[in-house]
Order: sequence, then structure tokens, then C-alpha cells
Amino acid sequence: PGPGRLARLPLSRVKALVKADPDVSLASQEAVFVLARATELFVETIAKDAYVYAQQGKRKTLQRKDLDNAIEAIDEFAFLE
Amino acid sequence: MAERPEDLNLPNAVITRIIKEALPDGVNISKEARSAISRAASVFVLYATSCANNFAMKGKRKTLNAGDVLSAMEEMEFQRFVAPLKESLEVYRREQKGKKEARKDKDKKTDSEEQDKSREEENDDDDERMEEEEQNDEEEVDN
Repeated sequence: PGPGRLARLPLSRVKALVKADPDVSLASQEAVFVLARATELFVETIAKDAYVYAQQGKRKTLQRKDLDNAIEAIDEFAFLE
Repeated sequence: MAERPEDLNLPNAVITRIIKEALPDGVNISKEARSAISRAASVFVLYATSCANNFAMKGKRKTLNAGDVLSAMEEMEFQRFVAPLKESLEVYRREQKGKKEARKDKDKKTDSEEQDKSREEENDDDDERMEEEEQNDEEEVDN
């Protein structure tokens, strides 16, 4: 899977989230696409960052607490707190 | 019209697939962790949208565009996403252009009619197709 791959997340669901914002009037199709791809990259990133904690705990199953640890430790995830 | 809660979630099967492909073979993910990531992804979209919208407003535009989303990524400290996103966008634009050419040939409409079509109308057309694509996506669930 290279950077050029098309979105796996259904664009209509991403669009529903965009429309949930009362301040947004319209979003171009391209904007929704880029958002979908960005979200996929985000999911990959947060999963990998959380996995570091599972490895520290010598586990092969990613658990909720690994997520919580990653969110607390990493600045970019501060918006999730 | 109010959105039902499930409409603001992203499909579990797709989220799970993305997570599994990002992690080494043999690694599992608990249901709670998967749900938490899915919720985080929804929050990410909402936050990125809000951020992107600020850029659109600064540019005195009412329509969020791809550039606004890229600007939002930088603002949110996800600069490393920008290069891969730009590449994906290029591929997407080429594909959309290909589809449009195919539609033109099929319709055999006069050129002036096609060019007068507003962007929003095109979005609606493509949205309908997107709905179909979404159904296909969910049918392909892994087990």
C-alpha cells in the first residue's frame, strides 16, 4: 500500500462527519477525499504509537491502556484528551 | 435532520483492517482498543474539518477545498501527512478526470452544457456513486 492508494474509508461517512459541523457550508469532493486519507494515516499512526506500549508490556495484543498511554505521551494527540 | 449516532462512526471493518495492516503480523487488537481508535478517528475528522474551515473562511470561501485540509494538517502538527496526501490527491484527480471523460463520451451532451455544470452538482452526482461504492465496501468485510 503506497501513498497513492485511494481511500478505504467510505467518503459518504466522512462527508457525514464534515456536515455535522454547523459552521461548514460546503466541502468539495477533493476535500472529503483528502480528509478520508488523512484519517487513515491517523489511524495507522496512532495504532503504531500505541503498540510501542504493548511491546513494553511484552504483549501481542493492543489494549485500551496502550492507547491511553500514547495519547497522554504524544503532543499531536492532545486534541483527544 | 438529526444524524443518528451510528452515522458519525466509521465502519469497524475498515478501521480494523487499517490497524492490522499498520501493525506487525501476529499482533491483535482488543475490541476496546479498536473502538477507542475508531472514536479517535471520528474526533480527528471533526477537528480537522473545523481547522480546515478556518482556512476557508480566511480565504473568504464558502467551500472547503483540499488545500484547506492540507493546511489544517500542518496546523494540527501532522506535517508528515502532507506529502503522502498530496500524492494521493494527484492519483485521485487523475482518476476523476478519467471518469469524467468516460461520462462525456457516454452522454454525448453538447460541450457547453457540461462546462456550465457547477462543482456542487458534480459533487452530487459523484456522491450518488459514492453511496454505491460504500455498499460495496461494507459487503467486502473480512472474517
